[in-house]
Amino acid sequence: MSKMKKQHHMGLRALNRVSNSAIYTLLVIISIIWLIPFVFILLQSFRVENTYQVGYVIPHQWGFDNYIKLWNSDFKRWYLNTFIIALAAAVFQTIIVLCMSYTLSRFRFRMRNSLMRFMLILGMFPGMLTMIILYRVLADLGLTQANAVPGLILVSVASSGMGYYVSKGFFDTIPKSLDEAARVDGATRLQVLTKIILPLSKPIVIYTILTAFMGPWGDYVFARYVAFGTSAGYNVAVGMYSWLTNDQIDTMYTTFCAGGVIVALPVTILFLCLQKYYVEGVTGGAVKG
Amino acid sequence: MKKLLAIILALAMMLTLAACGDDANAGGGSDGADDAGADLAGTYDVVIWAPEAAVDLTKSQVADFNSSNEYGITINATVEPVSEADAATNMITDVQAGGDLFFFAQDQLSRMIQAGAVSKLGSAAATYAKENNNAASILAAQSGNDLYAYPLTADNGYFMYYDKSVVPDSDVDSLEAIIADCEAAGKNISYELENAWYSAGFFFGVGCHSDWVTDNDGNFISIDDDFNSDKGLIAAKGIQKVVTSKSYVNSSTADFASGSAVVVTGTWNYATIKDQLGDNFGVTDLPSFEVDGQSYHIGSYSGCKLLGVKPQTDATKGAAIARLAQYLTGKDCQLARFTSFGWGPSNKDALADPAVVADPTLAALNEQGNYAVPQPNIHGSWWDIAKVITTDIKDSDGSDDALKAALAKYEESIQAVFTMSDDVKNAFTVIGSINGDGWTLDLPMTADGDVWTSNEAYTMDAGVEFKCRQGKSWDVAYPADNFVVDTAGTYYIQLNAATGEVSLIPA
Amino acid sequence: MKRQNGTDPAKSSVQRKHKSPKRFFAEIGMLLKEYTDQGYLRLSKLQKFFYKILAFFSKIPAAIVGFFKNIGRYIKNGAVSLVNEFKDIGRTFAQGDWKTKTSFFVMGFGNIARGQVLRGLLFLLFEIVFIVYMITAGGYWLSMLPSLGKQGPTQAYNEILDTYTTTYNDNSFKILLYGVLTIFFIVAFIYTWRLNVKQNKLAEQFLKSGKKLSSDKDDLRSMVDENFYKTLLALPLTGILVFTVMPIVFMILVAFTNYDGAHNGFSNNLFTWVGLDNFNTLLSWQSAGGGQSYSATFGEILAWTLIWAFLATFTNYFLGMFVAMMINKKGIRLKKMWRTILVMTVAIPQFISLLYVSKMFARNGLINLTLKDTLHWISQPLPFWEDPTWARVSVILINVWIGIPYLMLITTGILMNIPADLYESARIDGANAWQQYTKITLPYMLFITGPYLLTSFTGNMNNFNVIYLLTGGAPTNSAASGAAGSVGYTDLLITWLFKITTGAESQYYLASVVGIMVFVVVALISLVVYNVLPSIKNEEDFQ
Repeated sequence: MSKMKKQHHMGLRALNRVSNSAIYTLLVIISIIWLIPFVFILLQSFRVENTYQVGYVIPHQWGFDNYIKLWNSDFKRWYLNTFIIALAAAVFQTIIVLCMSYTLSRFRFRMRNSLMRFMLILGMFPGMLTMIILYRVLADLGLTQANAVPGLILVSVASSGMGYYVSKGFFDTIPKSLDEAARVDGATRLQVLTKIILPLSKPIVIYTILTAFMGPWGDYVFARYVAFGTSAGYNVAVGMYSWLTNDQIDTMYTTFCAGGVIVALPVTILFLCLQKYYVEGVTGGAVKG
Repeated sequence: MKKLLAIILALAMMLTLAACGDDANAGGGSDGADDAGADLAGTYDVVIWAPEAAVDLTKSQVADFNSSNEYGITINATVEPVSEADAATNMITDVQAGGDLFFFAQDQLSRMIQAGAVSKLGSAAATYAKENNNAASILAAQSGNDLYAYPLTADNGYFMYYDKSVVPDSDVDSLEAIIADCEAAGKNISYELENAWYSAGFFFGVGCHSDWVTDNDGNFISIDDDFNSDKGLIAAKGIQKVVTSKSYVNSSTADFASGSAVVVTGTWNYATIKDQLGDNFGVTDLPSFEVDGQSYHIGSYSGCKLLGVKPQTDATKGAAIARLAQYLTGKDCQLARFTSFGWGPSNKDALADPAVVADPTLAALNEQGNYAVPQPNIHGSWWDIAKVITTDIKDSDGSDDALKAALAKYEESIQAVFTMSDDVKNAFTVIGSINGDGWTLDLPMTADGDVWTSNEAYTMDAGVEFKCRQGKSWDVAYPADNFVVDTAGTYYIQLNAATGEVSLIPA
Repeated sequence: MKRQNGTDPAKSSVQRKHKSPKRFFAEIGMLLKEYTDQGYLRLSKLQKFFYKILAFFSKIPAAIVGFFKNIGRYIKNGAVSLVNEFKDIGRTFAQGDWKTKTSFFVMGFGNIARGQVLRGLLFLLFEIVFIVYMITAGGYWLSMLPSLGKQGPTQAYNEILDTYTTTYNDNSFKILLYGVLTIFFIVAFIYTWRLNVKQNKLAEQFLKSGKKLSSDKDDLRSMVDENFYKTLLALPLTGILVFTVMPIVFMILVAFTNYDGAHNGFSNNLFTWVGLDNFNTLLSWQSAGGGQSYSATFGEILAWTLIWAFLATFTNYFLGMFVAMMINKKGIRLKKMWRTILVMTVAIPQFISLLYVSKMFARNGLINLTLKDTLHWISQPLPFWEDPTWARVSVILINVWIGIPYLMLITTGILMNIPADLYESARIDGANAWQQYTKITLPYMLFITGPYLLTSFTGNMNNFNVIYLLTGGAPTNSAASGAAGSVGYTDLLITWLFKITTGAESQYYLASVVGIMVFVVVALISLVVYNVLPSIKNEEDFQ
């Protein structure tokens, strides 16, 4: 009996070894697939000899030409614009989202359910539709073209309350008994929030800041609509997209790659540093809807 | 309570109306410059949209204008990089926020006119432009009888760049030989045939035509098109030769570095291609193709870039901008653009310049010009409709019937453009033997309630016959029998749609 | 994360007898006719699933009838409560003291007179702002709303200067926009006025019964205490109202106008109301252009949108879970490194990665050139974006590349939360790895992530970025294109909508109609799924 069991275990271990090596192989392949485009972008950003698409990856001639070209273009301005939008979004969106999600998680008031249902229904309208009208509103406020940056901040912050689901899911997991204990001790609701809930919510706060900060770097369609025809109001996506259109791709392709590297680097580094919180935020909040 | 509200509302309306009135006055109030004749001296803030490449040059040209113009105009210009393709879309999105001057491609003109995004040229300016630019570029800037933009280039056409190491010079006149060379060498042919601008060339090559008719407001009235014909079938067979080749790539970018030996594109890719091909650089007009023993030279569109002026609310500023536009499209500026970016001029004097005459791409373009059709105003939806011909040919089984079906579908689609809008469907038009026309042209009418009046007065002899019909079809047409003019004269034609009564109003 | 009661996934494997199709549906049918608990419990899992779906649909006719019956009731109830409101207002006026009576005209007067200065001033301020707005602007916008403007732009020729000048007049767009805003504002005013009247009445009652009114200080304190939620919600909800609700209302209204490139409401022609014409255009089966009708095109795009959303959601879901399980497996080292590599795609902005990948797979892009010229594996470039089937498969595969990391993160957390003893007892029962997966892991995952799957499905239906940046809708679908504009095989409804808006004709009205249709489809799917899904979670369970 005991012998049989031992054999069984040994068989398992062998099986384990086989399946583990299979898994390693798969993981290595997956990693290569996932990293390849980024490695390619990086390599091509250093290519000097041609500025258009070619059939090889490793540059024949290395150099910083594309980065110098980038520095001499309007890219600096676009980068600064995007950075300002991202920073503002990170601060204000976080405040709005936290207000919203904390309230909906912690308070039970008349209209609460209707409010949540209403926002769920609102979310089902394709956002693309409202682009034209938002543009007009911003135009009336003088927040388009050269002033696109504050305009984009305003719009992204104003409607950010709709994205409360993830952090509400997180707040829902913090036991309500904590609040009640504090209330019994005479704390106001505000004190409960600042003294008890917020310290416990570090992951979700960082998650919200991080996602809000990352969003503007990829914002294209609406940003283009708002900043139209005014280079000073572009963000990186709007500015760089034009480099891949037919009339510019032959001269700007490698510059696009260089721009891509400059845009992706800080965001990626920041993201990798705060990855832990992002994971906690996603797993803690996202699935509970 | 109710009364109070009514009073408040009435008051509100009066106030706003008054405010609006003020506004309207302020718009035109330019301190009596009108009385002082063409005194344009002053400083004007002007936004110019130019393609990325031309931004710096445009800035220096504006500076030159400031120092040299005789009117005392100082232009305080902001030059923004906006591609010609984006300019039209952007202008239409929001005319007010658009650039005062903008570079755009001629195919967008009617869209721009319709959107109220370009200003008509004054009659003196129009005359000057007509005298100094070649005919094709004037045609491009025209809608009805009016000019709506200043011709900027006359080089918006395409021809063939090729790699001499793959396609020997002896083969460049035959499409079949070129395809064979490329297939043998495993090289591509970049020919953007899934774009009607390029594919239409085959149809023009066999003698087909596609003409859109616009009125003075930039509206399309009708289309005269014979792509769906026996000649069109020959063109379709030509397209089929290219798109069914394994070498075919639907592209018009400088692809020599990525496997192409032939690229059909225009002057704008010259520098890049020269750089890519080096000694093997070759450029010439498009080749001929052969169907049933007959040879046809592939045609093309020739087009222009235009400089548009945004409608201005202030007459003085409008006049100052018009002077600037005239300067920017004059001989010197066009030549400067030719030297810097190889843009072919439309200005007659600039065209005669030795440097322009000697340019290889412009020579190729010129040669191709013998087979090119000046691009007229084209309805925006045509591009989408016509590009489908190529896709259909590519996807078809290649039989004559399949090609015919693709052409028939195309025709049905273009005809449908005119049955689409309700405005057109409900509108009455006059058709008949007016102006010597043989019942082919629908003349527009405008409604005032049920009474429709022709937009223009027509000079008609006695015996001229016509009818007023609705939606350009004969379902509703008045009078039941043709109207016959009794006495010769110049008349407006009037129809009471409620009673069906048609009458002539002497002009 | 607390587990639900009574849904122990290990138990849900009892029913495995195969039933004949006839019996299978007969049992469901019987249950539909007359519901019994025992009958329901006797059904197999699959039957239960079908039953739920069918039950939902079978309820629809009754629900519609009920809805119309209810409308009558709602109207009646509404009318009654409206009458009651008026009666109450009248009574308040008749029985109120002079302070209350004055408050009917000067809002907040009663509050100020009774010592609630802060509240009173706010009421008063609101009234002043409202009146000033209505006089200076609101009245005008409201009066123009029915016509959306009377006079378009006019042109005049100045002979001396040889130039045309344009005078802009009415602006349909602004009239519609500010008309809607004004109506919002009026409703807000009526509500506030009513609140003001009510507060006066309550204050009188309070004082009569000898209670004290809350002071300004109390009001301020309550804003961070019992009314803290109002403080917190004020800003976010205002933002949503102005920048989400109002634009949606506006765009719905646009569906009933002829607003397009040729009628842009300001610089060329004004636009006006056209009733239901646009819906007729989209929904009629008549051919609108040479190709097929809008409704056929819509149907075709909708079909692909649904297929795409389904495949995009579930390929990501299962592959993401698979990758997560591989990395989580005991004995696999460098877990953090593997995760980090994958997660990088989440961090890098999509417009860079997707645009680059799109160019990489292009006909003359890196992949094709390498395969053809460097490796000589193929003689012709692969038609990644040219062939409909290739393009559709390509977008789904590249979407997997984008989506797996995110799903991996989500599922990792949940996988680790599955109680280990479940697996332990399964192993003792002799279940192999596959059985453990289908009997424990999968049901658990599906249960927890059900709502997530739904949002992800609707999110994918509206996944503009992936399609727009990768293909822009290409290759062209020649049958569906035509006078209606260019349509591609990979176009989703949302990218089609974008094309309609920015295309040659700028048919905003049609875009708006399509947008409403997208909403209807998404809402319908959500409704069905919510009714069928086993894990509609009671949110209180998590606390």
